[in-house]
Amino acid sequence: MQKLLPKSQLNEFLINLIDKYQVIAPVKQKNTSFQFLDKNNINQLYLTRITEVPVKKFFLPENETLLKFKGNKTTEPVSKIKSRIIFGIRKCDINALLVLDKAMPDPNYIKKRKNTILIGLYCENPDKYCFCESMELEDYYDLFFYPYENNYYISIGSEKGAKIINDLPTAKKEIILKHKNTKILKNKNIESEYKNKIWETDSSKCLSCGACTVYCPTCNCFNIKDNLSINLNPINRIRSSASCQLKSFSRVAGGKIFRDSRLSRFKHFVYHKIDYFKKQKGKYMCVGCGRCLRVCPTHIDWIETINLLNKTKRKK
Amino acid sequence: MAYLPKPFQIIEIKTINKEVKLFKIKSNLNPKPGQFLEVSLPGIGECPLASCLFNNQEINLLIKKAGNLTSALFRLKPKDLLYIRGPYGKGFPIKKLENKNLILIAGGTGIAPITSLISYIEQNKEKFKQIIIYFGFRNKNYILLKEKIKQWQKKFNVTITLDKKEKSGSYKQGFVHETINKFPPKKENRIAVMCGPEIMMKSVTQVLNKLGLDNNQIYWSLERRMECGLGICNRCLIQDVYVCKDGPVFRYDVIKPKIENEEFSNKINSN
Repeated sequence: MQKLLPKSQLNEFLINLIDKYQVIAPVKQKNTSFQFLDKNNINQLYLTRITEVPVKKFFLPENETLLKFKGNKTTEPVSKIKSRIIFGIRKCDINALLVLDKAMPDPNYIKKRKNTILIGLYCENPDKYCFCESMELEDYYDLFFYPYENNYYISIGSEKGAKIINDLPTAKKEIILKHKNTKILKNKNIESEYKNKIWETDSSKCLSCGACTVYCPTCNCFNIKDNLSINLNPINRIRSSASCQLKSFSRVAGGKIFRDSRLSRFKHFVYHKIDYFKKQKGKYMCVGCGRCLRVCPTHIDWIETINLLNKTKRKK
Repeated sequence: MAYLPKPFQIIEIKTINKEVKLFKIKSNLNPKPGQFLEVSLPGIGECPLASCLFNNQEINLLIKKAGNLTSALFRLKPKDLLYIRGPYGKGFPIKKLENKNLILIAGGTGIAPITSLISYIEQNKEKFKQIIIYFGFRNKNYILLKEKIKQWQKKFNVTITLDKKEKSGSYKQGFVHETINKFPPKKENRIAVMCGPEIMMKSVTQVLNKLGLDNNQIYWSLERRMECGLGICNRCLIQDVYVCKDGPVFRYDVIKPKIENEEFSNKINSN
């Protein structure tokens, strides 16, 4: 059973939500990203394409306080999170959260996930970088909006979601849409290809800028470091995001760097997404959003590289 | 609770040489041999260290001045507090070492986890067979835990090698792996356990292979950057294994292909 919301009433629907929840939605400003929605920026709502910036900052902020040392006392600050709704989140980004669920068994993260209702939106305009269909994504949501003609057809995934749209009329027919990607990842079994020379073509273009890891919705690696206030009271121990593409990532005291070459760092990224995480946690760490390809300043397309791997294999 | 450390008091600090000090700390954390602790000072930072004692009253940390935190630890005095959380990791597979002839090898500060294992063996002697120990140090001044080693020399077969050529009676000259060649251990029912710089462990492993030990009879205790200790931060990944959570001790045949893969990529281009 689906519920029905006329497209023209979407803003009104969201404004109603803002009264009860913190609403986070895709907004177009300098770039497109998820922002807290209020009456001032609701006209900047951007539903056309996937956002440039992923939604992860609402779950894993760039800097998050883990501990406070104050005098002799050490405390773990618990972040107070109001009930939140993320509206307009694409299937790939929802699945990125499912990946983080496995990657971050961390009280602060879990709390944020529990307090967040996910309202998904069908992706009408996948671009040439999208390859979500190849990544075995799950259908997971509290509510999911399918835009069709002048209406949104809303599928219900949970009771929490159902409560939000109690008042909306029931749709007479059911609309479930499926899109087609032009980009396809043909092979995910790359374990035996670690020493293939083909990776060197990509890594020779790589600048080790780390943009792929910043924009990746599932990249969660971090540093733990201490931040000082000017009077040293309190001292905050914070978690701040890190990138495996930087040399410092694997450096130990004494100066040894375990992934010293760009090639090993680049492969670490690709293999973590497609191979390692699957072996550890039974899930691909990549959700096929294509952001790493979109933001790469030297246009490295490792999906095509993997597809080529396949071809060279066949030739043998 | 995951990141919350507890304060512990330093009982005693022994200066071993310019670069290394031994911190004795009152603590009931009781890490198993081979496990590690996240030691920290508020405002400076955290780092993973192994206790070189198996004891539920005390932790002994052998600390080499190598980074920010260790330099700050060097400024501490007895009765000062430091913060510790842990222990983390699986440590040595004790059950698999029981009833075996053990070859224990350590180089430099890699002696720490190995000595916690020796200290465990001392307390459970009846469970183990022959124990042969090889320690490698840079020179005479860098011999760590001298007094402990003296005690062990009475109980076990201990060989000490010094890299530098010095006139020194009871010490062997050269690298550890050369010494093992000259003084080979027993042939049957053996397991070798080692910790130290990877380059050293590699040469030692080659020698052990020649002496007839398979890679599945050899265990390496590894060093990697570990920020969280919980298998979350991904800093210590070697391909698909976490050194913090799955290790830091690995059977060599398991970890060898993974280490070699990463080294392979490092060799090919190094920018």
